[in-house]
Amino acid sequence: MRRRDFLMSAAGATGVMAGLAPMSRRALAQDRPFTFTSWGGALSNAEKEAFIDPFGKLKGIPVINTSPTETAKIKAMVQAQKVEWDLVDVGGRTVWQGGKEGFLESLDLAKIPNAANLEKGWVSPYGVATSTGATIIAWSKSAFPEAGPQSWADFWDVKRFPGARGLYKYFYYNYEAALLAAGVKRDEVFPYTTEKADMALAKIKELKPHVTVWWGAGAQPPQLLSTGELALSSAWSGRMLAAEAEGAPVGHTYNDGIAWANWWVIPKGAPHRDLAHEAIDYALGKDQQAKLLSLKTYGPVLAAATEGADAETAKILVMNPDNVKNMLILNEEEANKYSYEYEEKWNQLMLG
Amino acid sequence: MARRHIETLLLLAPAVIFLFLCFVVPLARLFSLAFTDEAGPFATFAILADSDVYRRVMVNTFLVALAVALITVVLAWPVAYILTKLKGFWFAFALYGVLFPFWISVLVRTFSWMILLERNGPLNRFLINLGITDKPLALLFNDTGVMIGMVHVLLPYAILPLYGAMLRIDQRLLMASDGLGAGLFDTFRRVYFPLCLPGLMGGATFVFLLSLGFFITPALLGGSNAITLSMLIASFINDRLAWSLAAAASLVLLVVVLALLAATAKVLPFGKGMYAK
Repeated sequence: MRRRDFLMSAAGATGVMAGLAPMSRRALAQDRPFTFTSWGGALSNAEKEAFIDPFGKLKGIPVINTSPTETAKIKAMVQAQKVEWDLVDVGGRTVWQGGKEGFLESLDLAKIPNAANLEKGWVSPYGVATSTGATIIAWSKSAFPEAGPQSWADFWDVKRFPGARGLYKYFYYNYEAALLAAGVKRDEVFPYTTEKADMALAKIKELKPHVTVWWGAGAQPPQLLSTGELALSSAWSGRMLAAEAEGAPVGHTYNDGIAWANWWVIPKGAPHRDLAHEAIDYALGKDQQAKLLSLKTYGPVLAAATEGADAETAKILVMNPDNVKNMLILNEEEANKYSYEYEEKWNQLMLG
Repeated sequence: MARRHIETLLLLAPAVIFLFLCFVVPLARLFSLAFTDEAGPFATFAILADSDVYRRVMVNTFLVALAVALITVVLAWPVAYILTKLKGFWFAFALYGVLFPFWISVLVRTFSWMILLERNGPLNRFLINLGITDKPLALLFNDTGVMIGMVHVLLPYAILPLYGAMLRIDQRLLMASDGLGAGLFDTFRRVYFPLCLPGLMGGATFVFLLSLGFFITPALLGGSNAITLSMLIASFINDRLAWSLAAAASLVLLVVVLALLAATAKVLPFGKGMYAK
């Protein structure tokens, strides 16, 4: 046997194996229990305890909680027709990407009656928000023992608030922060236009010499602020709250925060599609939403569920009317657009 | 067919089948993705050619890899030499010192460097106490941080091939050189160094190639400009969901690397480094 013959037979063997594989895969997908996938950490714990495990108990079915969630993985599963996740927690951008690229189920809102109680921005054709958080201004208490910056304009003010800054490594959140710092009114930040995006880029360029860290992982800002490496930074609310609960010398404000949600979506072709719809509806119930209050990291998406909160908890809830009136609600559909269209310009700015 | 050939074939078969199924087939499928863009088979390459960012990131990545390979080899040399001279307990101690970092995850090591290199971290406090500097040095979130982190992770890959090459050098050759009247420097330059070269080139090549794919270390220790090709490709896959673009970017990288290695192999005894005698 010459080398070529050998390779041919090896290729034949591959063909046989490739033919066998899809059958067993499909058989597996139907047998596996209802599977929910999220980000891990504090959020996954909250969702497991408040939503998914009680839902499984109610229905009398086994459920699986996994992490981490990944958009590219959902797309790959759908393309390979081997969907292992029935319900997935994703960032807002994925909801609109998935709708456009066709790897998410279009939701049947008749099966999710509780969605009608949410504010309009939290419901979309391909995903529904189930909990809320925010990108907020945070600071190191060693840099500002009294009071830190209270707005993005303060954050940009290097004379009043000197020190090293941290910002998120993509245009996401920074578009909003820069426009608010430039004095654009909250209700005029969206829809995004090229003029506004260019203005935001110029504003970020202005602050860039003072930004030492462009963070990508949520754990970075609380860590860098508590050691004093950074004086102030944008940060995810849940991470700051968790760090403060552990006694880290850091402070934060919800003023001028950019509120966002954790979105639930159903990958196209998920075997437990109907159960996934039911689970979304269940999570949006007032009792389930109120369960998030005691976890003190990510809050309910249902405004009515914040009523029962004590004064201390109310301070950390995005949907508390006293907080949300000072915040900007992130428009994920627009954010997806500028993220895509300004990727090259953003990277150019980063490369300097 | 001679029996010897059948034996050879059977012995080779497991590795060949494994490599074919688990490496060649997926790689071919990945690269075929590059030509599947809706706008035409070569649309992805046109996007890359137009992208100022892709070009600059490509150049940056190669320059960093080259610098890391150079620094690593220079640092590895004395370590490898000392390893050949040590015996017994001290040899084991030094060898485990080299190997130990292999067993700790890159992520953990990178986070450890963050803590060590901070402005208020132990290294800066030490330097200030010694009076070497009065203001903390910026060792983190810039190219210095990236270099320190990458060199640390990659050092064993340079030490081990170099140690192997040095160990195989017949000590009598050095004595002969000495006996023939060559000075210390001449013996090094004309006997010792050429015999180390295969190991040196092998180590440098390993380090260079591994550096090209670095991701976590530059992301955590680098500044805003520390975008590497692998980060850009990951962002094509995860954020932009443009898989054909990611495949094209990977294909271009592979072609450039192969061309570069082929060119280097002509100039330097690179081939020998991979399987030094």
